[in-house]
Amino acid sequence: MSATKGPRQGGPPGPAVGEKVGRLELEKAWLVDPVSDRQGPGDIVVTGGVIESVVWLEGDEAAGVTDRGVVVAPGFFDLHAHFREPGFEDAETVASGSAAAAHGGYTTVAVMPNTQPALDDPGVLARIRAAARASGSPVEVLAFGAVSAGRAGEQLSAMGELADAGVIGYSDDGSPVKTSKLLRSALLYAGMLGLPVVDHAEDAELTSGAEAHEGYVASVMGLAGWPVAAEVNAVSRDLAVLADALRDEPRSRLHLTHISTAGALDLVRRAKAAGLPVTCDVTPHHLALTDEWIAGARRWSWEALAADGTPRDPWADAVLSGWPYNTSLRVNPPLGTATDAAACLAALLDGTADAVATDHAPHTVVDKEVEFGRAANGISGIETALGVLLALVDAGKLPLARAVAALTTGPASVLAAALGTAALPAARARGLTEGAPANLVVFDRGDTWKVTPEALLSKGKNSPLLGRQLPGRVLLTISAGRLAYEDPEAGDE
Amino acid sequence: MTTAAPATGTLTATGAKPGAWHHRHLIDVDVLTWSEIELIMRTTDEMKGILARPIRKVPALNGRRVTTLFYEASTRTRVSFETAARNLSADVVSIATATSSVTKGESLVDTIRTLEALGAEILVMRHGISGAPYLAAEVFGGHVLNGGDGWHAHPTQALLDLYTMREKLPGGDLRGRKVAIVGDILHSRVARSNIWSLTAAGADLWLCGPATLLRGMDRWATAWSGGAVPGHGRFNVTTDIETALRDADVVMGLRIQRERMQAGLLPSMREYAARFQLNAKRLSLAKPEAIVMHPGPMNEGVEIAPDVAISGRSVITDQVANGVAVRMALLYLLAGAHEAAVGEPAR
Repeated sequence: MSATKGPRQGGPPGPAVGEKVGRLELEKAWLVDPVSDRQGPGDIVVTGGVIESVVWLEGDEAAGVTDRGVVVAPGFFDLHAHFREPGFEDAETVASGSAAAAHGGYTTVAVMPNTQPALDDPGVLARIRAAARASGSPVEVLAFGAVSAGRAGEQLSAMGELADAGVIGYSDDGSPVKTSKLLRSALLYAGMLGLPVVDHAEDAELTSGAEAHEGYVASVMGLAGWPVAAEVNAVSRDLAVLADALRDEPRSRLHLTHISTAGALDLVRRAKAAGLPVTCDVTPHHLALTDEWIAGARRWSWEALAADGTPRDPWADAVLSGWPYNTSLRVNPPLGTATDAAACLAALLDGTADAVATDHAPHTVVDKEVEFGRAANGISGIETALGVLLALVDAGKLPLARAVAALTTGPASVLAAALGTAALPAARARGLTEGAPANLVVFDRGDTWKVTPEALLSKGKNSPLLGRQLPGRVLLTISAGRLAYEDPEAGDE
Repeated sequence: MTTAAPATGTLTATGAKPGAWHHRHLIDVDVLTWSEIELIMRTTDEMKGILARPIRKVPALNGRRVTTLFYEASTRTRVSFETAARNLSADVVSIATATSSVTKGESLVDTIRTLEALGAEILVMRHGISGAPYLAAEVFGGHVLNGGDGWHAHPTQALLDLYTMREKLPGGDLRGRKVAIVGDILHSRVARSNIWSLTAAGADLWLCGPATLLRGMDRWATAWSGGAVPGHGRFNVTTDIETALRDADVVMGLRIQRERMQAGLLPSMREYAARFQLNAKRLSLAKPEAIVMHPGPMNEGVEIAPDVAISGRSVITDQVANGVAVRMALLYLLAGAHEAAVGEPAR
């Protein structure tokens, strides 16, 4: 078979979702292996759910194989998603979220604990695991426990019991860790347990009532401004508290999620240079979208950037083609300017940002088909992350290998300590390594797909990219040797 | 001698051509070209002619259904719209949200769909959240006319302001005329819509208020300082009341709300009045023939001195009267656009 058409063209009927992949041969594909830091033409064979062979091709054998066709990479790892179960099953379930993740090329997803009840004791984790098993999906669902009981920001959650049960860290995501004092306790206690604290960095006093990034667009649109200082303040606090905690507990680790502003990224950059054990992620939407989308612009962030690094003016450019105040664009932290997006990209390129995480936040129509100022925060993004990053790659802004690393080894490295435990074998397999369980995504960079409510497997249709063609059609996702997703059109030709 | 309105037929006497109007909705003045604004002004002239007749009623919208949906308390704007609609012989349904199922938790979208099912054709809407009329327009099959949304837009106010300025200023032209808008700019939909219309008219626009109530506006002014947006000139933002008022042709005060003190944006009403109130002494900085405007409702003694509000320079009651004419013009244009706009992009 030729790898430039469907991965299993003409072969016998393959396994169903959840079944072990008996035999898969991918020939003359473009392989990207972030573990060995190698990419190029190659053949890969999976037998019995295990990567049997990886052959890198050279010379005539490699002729015509480029990184613009079928690409094989390790399955992606999302550090930050909301599967809404238990409590908000109308918006998403572990089953629908896992299906969506696999459609996006993800084989491991870390879900946040802002469920109802909050994931603040092992019972809730057991429910999530049971739902994952019942879903039949092989996508590995990891979980963060809450920092505080009930995410109320007062007492510590059952951190030790949660660690014993297998959480990979702690977060009060959806909200920041409420007080500096609580954060200090959490860093110390989590450090003792060898797990990171993940903070949603927001000074909630400054953002009370805020609707959109404070700036030109919000001013014109009459939206309450969300000051940049809200994130910078919070990151500054977090780093100061981390430095303090480290004096008592050198194993304390801080991860800052969905960092979106140049000022906060600079603080992280300096903290890393000073040797603080801090990591951070950026989201696809903060890399690619900007606040001008709220006014109706639909160009990528890099197309909205003037040569001097300032944002272009969507009114002056007459690019307002979309309906204004689309609530799919209401997200926390808010979409910034093209300058902020460029800062996120620069951070990803220089390693200040360790990973791309989706902050996949599905919501029901009831919570989104309302006035902008009443809409729930969040973007359903786990299925569009790859396409958005490939748009950056296509534009020459991001090397393909860096994009893949940001989706695989980057997130794994953030949780390196947690993932080192024997309880999490699959998550450790992040390379195209012979003899390892197959965690793979196969996508066609040369093919596009249209983002529609029907195409999205997530229950959350709250994507600002609806109606848009995205590059990089996922053909096949294999998690722990089992089929997680197969493009329904692949193999039919 | 004036004559009564014709008993039948459309508003043929206006000379306005509805065919030149292409907007299905009017949510803000930002989408209007200058020639469209002039069409509204000319149509308003004709409506004023009707209002000068002994019988202020024409059958132009006979049988058409206008619904006013007000989510915020408003007497003058709602009455102005309803008077305008009745002057055009439209059937008017008035919905105040305190007495509707909205208080039972019905969503805006459900309310709009219900009103459409009940036959609403033109929806005049006032809402406290910026952008709400766009949501309404997305689901409504008829026409949405924005009666004010959040901090975002109040297009009929801006157009009646523009009409009043043209009426009162010698020559009827705003090009080069200095207009100062003073007060709570940050929270003002009136100020925002006026930025679009007055920069299109070529006015020398100054926005003035305490720094806490101007937040973010300097970024807008900076973005436009190079004249980059086609059809719109630059404007200025200042906290210095004297700079704003000096040699002004038009001075407009905006309402200051007590909530701003509770939100920590103002020390006190007294202090605001001491520094920013439009009083006779400050107005002496403006041109002798300068007019004074206010969109209402006024806090006399806070943002405007009582003697200024009723002085010979005040055109505040003219604004109210012109408001009816402007709203008649817009209802007329929107209703006439109905046929032409089918199948066109909704915006």
